[in-house]
Amino acid sequence: MPDFTLLSDQIILLIQIAAGLFVAAFLSFIYVALTSVMSLIHLKKIAGTDTDNLLVCDVAYFHCRGKRENQEDSVYISPLEDSFSNGVIAACSDGMGGLLYGEVVSRYVVERLGEAYPMKFDDPEGVSEEIRKISSEVYEQYHLGAGATLVMTHIMKNMMNFYSVGDSNIILLRKGRVTLLNHKQNYVSLLIRKLAEGGMDTSEAYRNSRAKALIDFVGNTETNVIHTSKPIQLYEDDIIIVSSDGVTDAVSLNKMKSILSPEFSAQHLARLLKSGVKNKKLPKQDNFSAVVIKMDRSII
Amino acid sequence: MIEYYTFKHRGESESYKDEVYLTVVPSVTVAVFYGSVHHDKTIVSPEVFSGLLAEVSPDLDFNRMCSVLDERLPGNAEYLVLRIEGKSIACFRRGGVSAKLVINGDLRMLPNGIFGLNDGDRLVVATDKFFSCLTDEGILADALVTDSCSEWMNLMVRRISDVNQLKCGNLSAVTLLVK
Repeated sequence: MPDFTLLSDQIILLIQIAAGLFVAAFLSFIYVALTSVMSLIHLKKIAGTDTDNLLVCDVAYFHCRGKRENQEDSVYISPLEDSFSNGVIAACSDGMGGLLYGEVVSRYVVERLGEAYPMKFDDPEGVSEEIRKISSEVYEQYHLGAGATLVMTHIMKNMMNFYSVGDSNIILLRKGRVTLLNHKQNYVSLLIRKLAEGGMDTSEAYRNSRAKALIDFVGNTETNVIHTSKPIQLYEDDIIIVSSDGVTDAVSLNKMKSILSPEFSAQHLARLLKSGVKNKKLPKQDNFSAVVIKMDRSII
Repeated sequence: MIEYYTFKHRGESESYKDEVYLTVVPSVTVAVFYGSVHHDKTIVSPEVFSGLLAEVSPDLDFNRMCSVLDERLPGNAEYLVLRIEGKSIACFRRGGVSAKLVINGDLRMLPNGIFGLNDGDRLVVATDKFFSCLTDEGILADALVTDSCSEWMNLMVRRISDVNQLKCGNLSAVTLLVK
């Protein structure tokens, strides 16, 4: 046994302090190591796959009045700090021109989406029901005297569900291809179906004066919410644009393909798209708003 | 159970030279013949193609049926044949006709061979002309927002119409849903 009696009290105190510090450092190390392992397990659970393959959303938006007196577009983006657990929701609502209170209704729609957050990713029918409920509330208030469109994406674990009412846009740019994912609920759709079923060409449908008239919107009775029943797989460098028609009126899908590149950040892409609309200088430029989401690979 | 919907469109051509063949008894056999790809003359008429299938498909197993088709059709005939039995699908394609399967939120081309099927799986079989006006992302989105084969087809036709007002010659396609 070592004999400590020859050591001074001061030295013994120093040894005790050193031993205490060592124990504290060791316990801290154990704590940090354990929490790191736990968070990695949590991330793997969220990703449902190897974390090396986890994609994250880089998000940006713009919201412009154009040449109109009022801003009838409204935009919603869910809290990004909750994206691991609740996903990323991006929505755009466009108050219907020609009807009163377009501004009020579109704002009401996105505020109600915010209240409904978080939404269940695996229950697109339930989310659609929530949108129908919002539509009924608008109907109860205005009785078809006001309405709005709605487009919304919900991204989780590299997968995306989308929801659409009316004629706004959900656009996917992937590997140099550009696709409008949602179909616009306008009268031309009905005409095309009728002509195609009759074996005819459909040019007449596009000449119809009511071709662009909406056949459904938020604020209608028994609104039909177009929605995915199962989610779409997303890949690194996918670009998703959730926008009002003021954007696509000025910048065609083909033009988007030429100006938007996956090498840019969402913020840069949003800036390019916004400039594209402004540079068009349409004399009656509608309100134009968009949420731009770029899928990036996360480095863990 | 298999739900299906076929689309045959003459377009601006003088005649319809493709063929869509479909039987459900004793097993589901689907074939799409791409006769319109041969602009000057049809190498074999649609009637000959469907007549040959009607003759061989009920009695022969899939591999034997494909061998017979291979022997008796001209070398440059372009077609695709599918047979669905229970929860498996056999595919044989030659030339510009293909089948695309919606799987796990993605769209994959079905290669030649035998594969498993699950309830809710969706397939579209069509000529290259039909697919040329569509993107895979559009086909996929349309499949995932509809709950019937006819609705899915209508949405794809709408996309093609937006490109060319259906004035692009013969269009031929079949949508299938496993239930």
